[in-house]
Amino acid sequence: MSNLQNNLLELKKFQENAIIRIQTLGQFNLWRDNDKVDSKQWGRDKTVQLLQYLISNRHRHALHKESIMEHLWEEGDDRDFKVALHGVNKVLEPNRPSRTDPSYIIRQGVTYQLDLDKIWIDVEALEKYIIIGNEAFGNDMKTSKEAYKSALALYQGVYLPNRIFEDWSSEEREKIQILVLGAYVILAEILLHENPLESIRLAQCAIAIDKTWEDAYRLQMQAYLIKGNRPQAIKAYQKCADVLDQEYGIDPLPSTKKVLQEIESM
Amino acid sequence: MEKKAGQTASFMIRFNQIFYEEKGESKVQWRGRVSHVQGGKDQSFSDFSDAVKFIQEQLAELTLEATKHKSQEQQESLFTKSLSLWKTVTTEGPKVIMETIKDPRKQVAHLQDQISEFGEDLLEKVPIDDWRNVSRTDFKTIKDSIAELLTEVKKLNTKVDAINKTTKTSRTSKPKTTTATKKK
Repeated sequence: MSNLQNNLLELKKFQENAIIRIQTLGQFNLWRDNDKVDSKQWGRDKTVQLLQYLISNRHRHALHKESIMEHLWEEGDDRDFKVALHGVNKVLEPNRPSRTDPSYIIRQGVTYQLDLDKIWIDVEALEKYIIIGNEAFGNDMKTSKEAYKSALALYQGVYLPNRIFEDWSSEEREKIQILVLGAYVILAEILLHENPLESIRLAQCAIAIDKTWEDAYRLQMQAYLIKGNRPQAIKAYQKCADVLDQEYGIDPLPSTKKVLQEIESM
Repeated sequence: MEKKAGQTASFMIRFNQIFYEEKGESKVQWRGRVSHVQGGKDQSFSDFSDAVKFIQEQLAELTLEATKHKSQEQQESLFTKSLSLWKTVTTEGPKVIMETIKDPRKQVAHLQDQISEFGEDLLEKVPIDDWRNVSRTDFKTIKDSIAELLTEVKKLNTKVDAINKTTKTSRTSKPKTTTATKKK
């Protein structure tokens, strides 16, 4: 078994066995020992926000307390931060004995970060699946395909949809959206000859996220062409041309026009 | 204390670079999308100046919203300092003029509302009530009168030029008179 396959299996095991699992895509949910934490247990919204902020910045190691407060509170003091942090720790470890260090939030002086080896987060897993998919692409298409499929299965919608107006969540949202768009198009391309109908569906998912994603229209045209559905292929081109004209005032790329020529010459 | 998001505007700009071949020539195209995080609006662009314009418009709205409860003086001072707002005014100004030409009564009423928001003093200085009754025909008359005036000014200028020319010529062609005084 290759290293990439091993990594894929490890990721899946972690998803199944992690004590704390967090969903951020489509909606925000947290499971502790497979039990969903309800809104009563969360208490204040700032508690939820603090955890979401730590997730959004999970790759910036050791987040300074002042920096966190600056983003989440206008004029918050230490007490506000302590209350919110206590709330997060209480949700993650309700039975933690007093005067013991928290297990999931690593504290070093006045800096904080999530322990990603212990907490399973959908966006983190999605990113890792896509990395495996990209690395296996070309050499091990079976693993690549499986990795992309696993990544896309996690995509239940936009990142933290109830925080779309908060600037601290925008970067992660944009990053995930681009990763997902890429994954939809690559998987649609991998499956083009094997399963053209699935390619059409995947391309449609990409278009639903960004209606100007031209690669997705081109793949739809190619998949319809393979299926022998000429009218639908032309329709896909027309839709693409209309959207590009409307949004940018430009024509489709020569590669897209070339596919149209192939369809028309049929 | 909750964070006051009203004074913050964040923008996410996505650039998508596309290389392609056309008629044997390598080309590059930029496609982009700019979104206003707090407002939720977004816009596609292929020319970056459109993205800048979008940002300016969102910032202008932010200033307007943030100063609506301020006193007249404070608001005027803030408006003056808000460069982005005035940049938008320069772009939106011509549109207002065009709308006024199309529908003068509606625009005059709109302007009157805006001026009255700044207080009665300003309203007294601007005789907008006199303008309200101006009809499209009146506007046409004014436009025609200005056009006529321009023609007349042009004619007048030609005449003045001609007179100037004549004066200059007569001055230069005037025989030099010399007065010789005999020294005694």
